[in-house]
Amino acid sequence: MNSGPLLFLGLFATMAVSWIGFILTPQMQLTGLSQTNTVAVGNTLPETYPVAPSGEAHAGAEVYRANGCAACHTQMVRPSDLGSDLRQEWGVRRSVAEDYLLREPVMPGSVRIGPDLANYASRADTNDINRLYLRLYDPKQITHGTLMPPYRFLFDTRKILFFPSTNAFVPPDADAPPAGYEIIPRPEARALVAYMLSLRQNGYLYEAPPPESLRAKATNAVPTNAAPAAAKPAPAPK
Amino acid sequence: MSATVYPAPKTSSAPPLSQKPGAEASCPAGIFVLLAGGALWLVIATLLALLDSLKFHNTNLLAGQSWLTYGSVQAASSAAFLYGFGVPAALGLGLWFLCRLGRCALAGPVCVFVGAVFWHCAVAIGIGAILCGRSTGFASFEIPLWCARLMFAAYLMIGICALITFHKREVERLYPTQWFVVGALFWFPWIFSTAALVLLAAPERGVLQPVAAWWYAHNFDNVFLSFAGLAATFYFIPKIIGRPLYSHYQAVLAFWTIALFGSCGGIPFGAPVPSWITSLSLAGTILTALPIAAVAGNFYETARMDFGALDAEPALRFICVGLLFWIIAGAQQIAGALPNVSAITDFTLFGAAQKELFHYGFFALTVFGALYSILPGLLGLDGSAWSPKLLKLHFYFSFLGALISYAALLVAGLEQGILLAEGRNSFDDVMGRTLFPLRMSTLGDLLVAGGAVLFLLNFVGVLDKARRQCCARLKEAA
Repeated sequence: MNSGPLLFLGLFATMAVSWIGFILTPQMQLTGLSQTNTVAVGNTLPETYPVAPSGEAHAGAEVYRANGCAACHTQMVRPSDLGSDLRQEWGVRRSVAEDYLLREPVMPGSVRIGPDLANYASRADTNDINRLYLRLYDPKQITHGTLMPPYRFLFDTRKILFFPSTNAFVPPDADAPPAGYEIIPRPEARALVAYMLSLRQNGYLYEAPPPESLRAKATNAVPTNAAPAAAKPAPAPK
Repeated sequence: MSATVYPAPKTSSAPPLSQKPGAEASCPAGIFVLLAGGALWLVIATLLALLDSLKFHNTNLLAGQSWLTYGSVQAASSAAFLYGFGVPAALGLGLWFLCRLGRCALAGPVCVFVGAVFWHCAVAIGIGAILCGRSTGFASFEIPLWCARLMFAAYLMIGICALITFHKREVERLYPTQWFVVGALFWFPWIFSTAALVLLAAPERGVLQPVAAWWYAHNFDNVFLSFAGLAATFYFIPKIIGRPLYSHYQAVLAFWTIALFGSCGGIPFGAPVPSWITSLSLAGTILTALPIAAVAGNFYETARMDFGALDAEPALRFICVGLLFWIIAGAQQIAGALPNVSAITDFTLFGAAQKELFHYGFFALTVFGALYSILPGLLGLDGSAWSPKLLKLHFYFSFLGALISYAALLVAGLEQGILLAEGRNSFDDVMGRTLFPLRMSTLGDLLVAGGAVLFLLNFVGVLDKARRQCCARLKEAA
């Protein structure tokens, strides 16, 4: 171990092993991943999965990134034999590579100081947009003792001109603005809520199949189309 | 087992300055900027970490400032530690070791100086950008791309000079410290450029991004910081104790196994990736038991529980405790990677505890020890320039701070993991019950920040002494 060039070659070789293992091979395996169809359960029909997030949701991902939300929230659900993610009802199945296909940037996080958000849209009340804003404006009103700080800089408090805005966020009495004022979510808040409502990993896939109970139902029901991903390709004509 | 006795680096036998311009005479400016700037960034990193920790006591604290959200401050603190303190400290110490052990002068001192100034400026801009919401969203690689390019250029300026210094060394035979330095020197640009390319310049699709980000963060800690820290450990422990390193071959084993197995890992076991990737990561992480055993055994035999030396030489105390923390952090990482354990501990504060111990326990303490030994020399003073009172206080602050922070986060992480695994508890209940240990970690963060400030104060005192000595010399000359 007294020769500089040999030291360099050895280091290069070990580095190459790690690089091939964790950068190159995954790239070769997964880079061709494309949208697929979900596995039909019961009477449902297969759907295209994943669907591209809307433009506003994409802008919301930037807000999520800029404020460092991933420092406290993960976006991945582990399989049922690893931890209690599914029992916490954070998802209906484990997360798989397919789920992140159309996300940019992908922010799975690494520590849960807040709950997992992989499937937030499935459990949120999508009709009550006001409540989603309240989660950002004053989270303590929803969960007493939560560690989540309020993100009030995502909102503007402004004087009501002529008549109240239809976009105004109406907080509970404790947070009500002074009389004659209203709270308007800024574009960032609207984008962030759109992003949260795009977080949905509920399509069953070949690699993340529905649980036994649902599959049993499916076999009793009317035969449905087999999942294209599962179907073997027809032999090529000779 | 027959152990080859390897001579300790005998710095005392280095030629005196009057005969030959050695390390001290030719290289202070660049190395000094790297090390002093690093010490300054460490204070900033610890203060930002303290601010984040205080947010667990009062969630409304500075919540109205969009640039001081928990996530932004955490990203800034991490970047200040890794890129403001970690990389410059590794480079500065590495250059010093290459000069000292190769008995040669630094190549291109001006280039190193300019590179060091560039690097620190780039980090400052990058951290400003993170606070302004320009963070990339990848843990350990928060610095935006344009800033990463500047940093890479600055790194190359310094790194190339380091390689030339290594090449023109006058002592052909290499001591383990030099392998570790060269390993760190190569490892950083490889992983940094790979991460910049596949995460930012030409982003990979989907889940490949987190795989690359996890791989990068794991390599940065387990290979780059380990190499840089252990280089100092391998140099100072035998030198200060005055006994040769016990086994050359165990050092060889440790070096190559860190490079081979330490670089494979970091992917959580339940991650949404093909399972061969998580299995490969698990295998690599478990095999890091080899370098841990090799390093621990080697130093145990070298030191032979020589506690007298620990009291006599403060620098040794820092380095020995740092080594101990490296071993504990490595063991915890292996334990946390096992599937049965990771089912409970993954994505809890367990991982945060490990990172805390690795960064503020192992790396920062080791670098402090090394700085206490070499900084006075760079300024033409001797070890007595440090204020012994501040030094002692600093040791207890940094040591206890890292320990308390670690223990608190570890308890919080285990409690969180176990309560969640029971499955009956709602997430909010669980977090409520882990709040007490989580808040206890603030005390540790406070002590760590206090330690960094104490070091800076002591350092300013040394600078003042150096200035006075310099003035006295000028007067004599006049």
